[in-house]
Amino acid sequence: MAPLIEARDLTKKYGAHVALDRANLSVEAGRIVGLIGPNGAGKTTALRAILGLTSYEGELKVLGREPFRERTALMQDACFIADVAVLPSWLRVDQAIDFVAAVHPRFRRDRATGFLAKTQIKGGRRMRELSKGMKTQVHLALTMAIDAKLFVLDEPTLGLDILARRAFYDALVNDYMDETRTILITTHQVEEVENLLTDLIFIDRGRIVLDTSLEEVATRFVTVAVASDRIEAGRAEKPFYERSILGKSELYFENPDREKLAVFGELHTPTVADLFVAKLSGGAA
Amino acid sequence: MNNQIWLIRREFWENRAIWSIPAIIGVLLIIAGLFSRVNLPTLSSANDTHDFAAIFLVAIGMFFYLVMSVYATWYLLDCLHADRKDRSILFWKSLPLSDTETVLSKLIVAIVVIPAVYFVAADVTALIVAFVVSIRLRSLIGDALWHPDVWLQIQVLWVYVIVTTAIWYLPIAGWLMLVSAWAKRAVILWATLPPLVLCIIERYFGSHVLWNVLRERLFGLPAASLRASGPHSWNVSGTGDDSTLHLPSSVWHFINAGEFFTNPQTLIGAAVGVLLIIGAIQLRMRRSEI
Repeated sequence: MAPLIEARDLTKKYGAHVALDRANLSVEAGRIVGLIGPNGAGKTTALRAILGLTSYEGELKVLGREPFRERTALMQDACFIADVAVLPSWLRVDQAIDFVAAVHPRFRRDRATGFLAKTQIKGGRRMRELSKGMKTQVHLALTMAIDAKLFVLDEPTLGLDILARRAFYDALVNDYMDETRTILITTHQVEEVENLLTDLIFIDRGRIVLDTSLEEVATRFVTVAVASDRIEAGRAEKPFYERSILGKSELYFENPDREKLAVFGELHTPTVADLFVAKLSGGAA
Repeated sequence: MNNQIWLIRREFWENRAIWSIPAIIGVLLIIAGLFSRVNLPTLSSANDTHDFAAIFLVAIGMFFYLVMSVYATWYLLDCLHADRKDRSILFWKSLPLSDTETVLSKLIVAIVVIPAVYFVAADVTALIVAFVVSIRLRSLIGDALWHPDVWLQIQVLWVYVIVTTAIWYLPIAGWLMLVSAWAKRAVILWATLPPLVLCIIERYFGSHVLWNVLRERLFGLPAASLRASGPHSWNVSGTGDDSTLHLPSSVWHFINAGEFFTNPQTLIGAAVGVLLIIGAIQLRMRRSEI
């Protein structure tokens, strides 16, 4: 089966600034992919290109379509939340449901109202009267009621408190995700999405530095804590990143010889957050 | 079609001023009709009352038309800017609606829906004020306001004015939408300053071409669409109570449709308007955020 999203040499320049620099990535159906990168790395630009909100150079196919030329058709099968605070302040909850129901052929009204019935939100309220957390629930209700193949989330929980963030992800995983859907998500809060993701894409300065599944991370990356007296021997195995904590050095290896490393101590699979730091700092060194 | 209807309904949700401003003006005029001192000229002949009815209806219509022009200008400047300012464009763009549909819905609201709302408001207001004044004065003057033939003629004139306004001001509407889709802030300044600066530069070189084109476009509609004996040149002779008003007997004397629709100024202006609107659609596709 062809990948849901496929980008080859995806490039986007804003004047002299290169936001995306020949990025290559592919996303398969049924995955939950985290697009992770520091501020200004090109995450949002990549999503905007995928959603047809911006023009670009290079090749990009999303659900078999060219996003910028075919945004309208693409939005029948893909939906997105780019920051939850964007529902207009004058819009009433019931108007929002009526509108999306009227213009979106795949919107299932009963699902949206069912989801909202579980909350305190009344149909007659305007967005400006709702808290940020409630607005998130409305937006999520509207979006999750769409039978879309691809759901893109750009920093969906930015500015939400911990309760609202947790509720957001619970709803996403429990009420929405199944094997027919694909989710692409960008966030700063790596820890929060770590146990939800099946795939990782790291992006730095417009380039893709890592594109892998989480199962592959476990076989491909290893970290081991090495005592300071054996640090030179450890370094001889060519770690790609090194970090000292509490008198020990944590060394990060890619595709290592595990037997050789075992002599230094217990081998661990790095967390996504640690791998992110290691990969990006290591790449910069 | 279905999408257009919902997009236009959406504009009503967002811009309640589309109907609230004409409603308020109508109510104020009716209140004025109820409580103000009504002092009207003595009308001796049936012809006089006929003319008076026409002037009364046209005056109310003109007042609504002026307010409508100001509001429609503001609406066009705001319509592709507001949702970029509050970032809600990201929500609208997540729906399967094309940028062409969206921009056209806003254009239709500005040049068809808003004028139609004001047209209905002016009509309703005129009828209620005429009714109120008739009852208050219980006289020929009151009766003078009831002239179904005049009323029907004014309806025709109104529709004609709406159509010609929409076509004549299409380049202005297109320019305002282009600015609305492009500017990050200060839409009013971006809409007015560049043409003004260009005119000043032009004047420096001793030319008035651009200045004349703009002036002609902004103020030339009555001359282009109505005959010389149009409402702007009503001939009032005599003074005080002897005033008599001379009007052509039918509205058809005013309407100069044949000349308007074949006038190169009309056609070139409309073509420029279409190009500017295409430009606004292109910008709408590319500039989603401020």
